[in-house]
Amino acid sequence: MLSRTADNLFWMSRYVERAESIARILHAASRMAAVPIAEDTDSNEWQSALAAAACDQAFAATGQEATAENVFEYLAFSEDNPSSVRNCLRMARTNARAVRTALTTDTWEAINSAWLELHRYRTDDVSPSGLNRFIAWVKETSLRVDGAAYRTMLRHDAYWFSRLGVYLERADNTARILDVKYHVLLPPSVHVGGGLDFFQWSTILRSVSALTAYHWVYRDKLQPWLIADLLILREEMPRSLASCYANLTMFLDELARDYGRQGESQRHARRICAQLRNARTDDIFQGGLHEFLTEFITENNRLGALIADQYLI
Amino acid sequence: MRIQVRHDTVYAYATPPKYVIQKLRLSPRSHEGQHVRRWRIEVDKDCRLIETADAFGNVVHSFTLHDHFEALTISVEGEVETEETAGVVRGAVERLPLALYLRETDLTEPNEAIADYARKFRRDDSERLAGLHDMLADLHAHIRYDTGRTDSGTTASDAFELGHGVCQDFAHIFIAAARSLAIPARYVGGYLVQSNGTVSSDAGHAWAEAHVPDLGWVGFDPSNGVCVTEGYVRVAIGLDYLGAAPVRGAQAGGQTESLAVNVHTADMAVQQ
Repeated sequence: MLSRTADNLFWMSRYVERAESIARILHAASRMAAVPIAEDTDSNEWQSALAAAACDQAFAATGQEATAENVFEYLAFSEDNPSSVRNCLRMARTNARAVRTALTTDTWEAINSAWLELHRYRTDDVSPSGLNRFIAWVKETSLRVDGAAYRTMLRHDAYWFSRLGVYLERADNTARILDVKYHVLLPPSVHVGGGLDFFQWSTILRSVSALTAYHWVYRDKLQPWLIADLLILREEMPRSLASCYANLTMFLDELARDYGRQGESQRHARRICAQLRNARTDDIFQGGLHEFLTEFITENNRLGALIADQYLI
Repeated sequence: MRIQVRHDTVYAYATPPKYVIQKLRLSPRSHEGQHVRRWRIEVDKDCRLIETADAFGNVVHSFTLHDHFEALTISVEGEVETEETAGVVRGAVERLPLALYLRETDLTEPNEAIADYARKFRRDDSERLAGLHDMLADLHAHIRYDTGRTDSGTTASDAFELGHGVCQDFAHIFIAAARSLAIPARYVGGYLVQSNGTVSSDAGHAWAEAHVPDLGWVGFDPSNGVCVTEGYVRVAIGLDYLGAAPVRGAQAGGQTESLAVNVHTADMAVQQ
């Protein structure tokens, strides 16, 4: 396969996954903003949403105030924001079109129709129902693309490359969202374990569709370290870092086997995978969750660079 | 190196036991230089395999059987990807303080002879690695590899006196000698593929790890006189053989007629 093709497939699914993450972040922010307790504090959910999407600096540069309207518009529709849902879907479609023949009809149609349907959503409707409709649609789009690929694509390198994009992006997103909750969200004046804290955690869990999973796994009230355990170390949790790396390692192994050679990206992914499998939550908290997550995000980016070096350039 | 492992343990009973309990340390974990691609344990009777981890971080499976049966087979099949790390073990599960690995056990208690022998290799901390290498080469040269003369209960001192043994005895002697020099050391059970590709034997392999400042744990295989290479799959660690034994069990009633172990390891690249 041409490295250009591999690159397009990788970024196509990475952008779809990113669009979904942004939608989930918006969803979490809108829920948090709806909590009356938040009004007593100086926390700003929309500012946190920008931080979780790693768009806070770029947004600040626009000189706008972080209001619901501005942030929603910036994260969902802005043409100036490379990570906006609109731009993600546009990039996903551009990439998909470049490798149209490497995709099945179903996968292509899922991506193409998403782009066409996007224009139906109005940029000025930030009412809760308008926002929710949009968010639900983005999630559905991602499900459709993922499902179409899962159900129709041949299990060969084209599919493996598209999966790498999904899991690399997802790992980044889970790490970021956890980090934001821990360091940005809770204002210093509010005590850990309080009502706002509880509500924020449950929103975080819900934003990664893990609230029910949490109760199934732990049968306990929400505890920060258990949530971290669930989202970092539990392989059975599909959005956890451990699960993302189990998948990344597996798909990189498939590629290595297919091509008959392996390289630095396989080794790096295995190293992180082993670290996650051998780690314990206590040790992570002892070393500092923020430090752990920051390092993870760096290592995850490094894997992206290694994959690019090995296959995409 | 991509290593395929198949390991069967077959018990045949002259008279069926009433009750059997087994503890298996048969699952390798991933760490730097070792990646477990797939691994499966199969017991040929209906039972529940309960997975836990012991204090050393080894994966332990246990099961119990109540039925009457004449034979029991425990099979392990898996594939591990390894890389050359010059024997250095990084990123493995380390749950216990180093000082614990100085503790003597019945099997690794050094007698005067071993302590005397070890003293020849005493070096400063900065030279510790060189000292261990010297001891590795010396042990390999002076102890004969010989199956059938020792058994799983042979102590380090006995084997050292006899002057021959199997990989387990080599490891025990090495560990006993290292600990007598206050160097933390431990026993490692696992598998080995030699450079000629395929190996079938009636047992897995065993070697030792010693702690070296700045490097961490380093694997030494005294029965082959080398540091651990990419041909080694590291499965379980312990203070001695008993702590890392692949299969340990107990039974009530009945009589064991025979116990057969068959290990097959292969370098898949050579095989293809």
